[in-house]
Amino acid sequence: MSATPGLRGATPPQSGAPARAPIRRGAPVFLGGAKGRLLPASIPLRFFGAAAAFHLLAWLALAVGADQWPRFGGGLGWPLAALHLITLGVLGMSAIGAGAQLLPVATRRPAPGHRLLSAIWWLYTPGVAVLAVGMGLPSPPLLAAGAAAVTLALVTWGALMARNLVGARGMPGVVVHGWAAMFALLVLLGSALSLAGTWLGLAAPGRDATLAVHVLFAPYGFMGLLSLGISYILVPMFALADTPAERSQLTSIGLAVAALVLAALPALGFVPAGAAQVAFRIAALSCGAGAVGLHLRLMVQALRSGMRRELGRSFTLVRIGWAGLAASLVLALALVLQIPVPGLASWFGLSLIGVWLLSFLLGMLQRILPFLAALHGGSGRRAPTPSALTFDPALRFHFACHLAALGLLALAIAADSAWITLAATAVGAAGALAFGTFYTVLLLRMRAPSA
Amino acid sequence: MQPWQEQDGWHIDVRGLAPPQPLVAILRLVHTVGDAATVIVHHDRDPQLLYPELAQIGWQAERVAAEDGEVRLRLTRAP
Repeated sequence: MSATPGLRGATPPQSGAPARAPIRRGAPVFLGGAKGRLLPASIPLRFFGAAAAFHLLAWLALAVGADQWPRFGGGLGWPLAALHLITLGVLGMSAIGAGAQLLPVATRRPAPGHRLLSAIWWLYTPGVAVLAVGMGLPSPPLLAAGAAAVTLALVTWGALMARNLVGARGMPGVVVHGWAAMFALLVLLGSALSLAGTWLGLAAPGRDATLAVHVLFAPYGFMGLLSLGISYILVPMFALADTPAERSQLTSIGLAVAALVLAALPALGFVPAGAAQVAFRIAALSCGAGAVGLHLRLMVQALRSGMRRELGRSFTLVRIGWAGLAASLVLALALVLQIPVPGLASWFGLSLIGVWLLSFLLGMLQRILPFLAALHGGSGRRAPTPSALTFDPALRFHFACHLAALGLLALAIAADSAWITLAATAVGAAGALAFGTFYTVLLLRMRAPSA
Repeated sequence: MQPWQEQDGWHIDVRGLAPPQPLVAILRLVHTVGDAATVIVHHDRDPQLLYPELAQIGWQAERVAAEDGEVRLRLTRAP
């Protein structure tokens, strides 16, 4: 607290339940040198733009593989390509852009060099495209070339993030989530290279174990932990709420890491087959449920206590994503117990990737993008507001299409129907086009001369 | 952090707080002091995330002179 003298005895404003100021569009603001500590706008925005493009390509790839999707159980083909266009193309691409811009803000460290980030984009973007085409055709040499490029790009980005985390000040919960996500990234990249090697016919021991570790550490490890950690910054920021208790954050990440370790041990063959493996997996799911339950409780508290209660469709998507995360654990339990439900693996994948990670990310991007653009937009004393940059009709259309597409995919699994899958991909692609329109309009408005 | 009042307006010192707490504290104060008030923010860094939020509610910020190591902002209702 400052020792500035003054009328400290004056009545301070109420801080418990503040009044809400009316939102006014197009109001001016002087940025006061804010741009000096930001990455150039073109750096994070190119990652988000590529994510929007890969979102559309993922739906198109799934359309090509519609007949295989309802009972997809792995293997090369267009469903696998669609899956990786989502995980690497949409989720990974956004993680790189968001991590590069937001993590330095949280850690109070300088932003990474923009030339290196630009090089990562030029390596990663074609790498994801080549990898997906290699999976879809299938062409193992293309797959391996894409995997090599993606791995090099992610390792470089991971090193940048690790350097940033080393000097972090404060926010221990977010920092521990960051370190755990970086470790998970190493595991998933190692497993990915090993899997790519097997498609090339190279001798790689324990393919089933490697695949199990990859499926565990990609969604729940790298993307999952990164999502949970970054939520401790973004949710209080958008809801204008106090930061969730650090001790609870650390308990949640501790349980999440324990869950990953307990699930990895049987996958790697460290636990004898049979009842012991089932026991380990149930223990892992129990820890995972504890981690998720605690995290969601903290998020709900932040949303309920925040000054901004109306967070719109973006946070409806975020809430749907959280429901998908919880549902994925229930479906994982059904898989562990080998409950005979047709298409159970597809239900699990849809809940984990489509409902949780994709819905969560698209909801967050709807808030992050206008916010980021407003920081960079305009010139002189006048800058655009986030709401003035947002083309809401496109987001409204995307919201309806996204939910309809997920519902149709669930129906396609239940009915084992390629035609319903095709309908889902058509609706999903329309939603992706709408999201792309939102992004394009945002760029145009950001670059438009301000009054 | 407790805001206090001086002749030039309400003051708030958010130095040392982890993000997004400075943002939340400043906006909480802005939302409660009324449109005619001036808010002086004592910060240890340029609060990049604050500016879009201020613009959204029709406020503006300008840097004012401060001692070394401090970023001081004067927040007012935009004309």
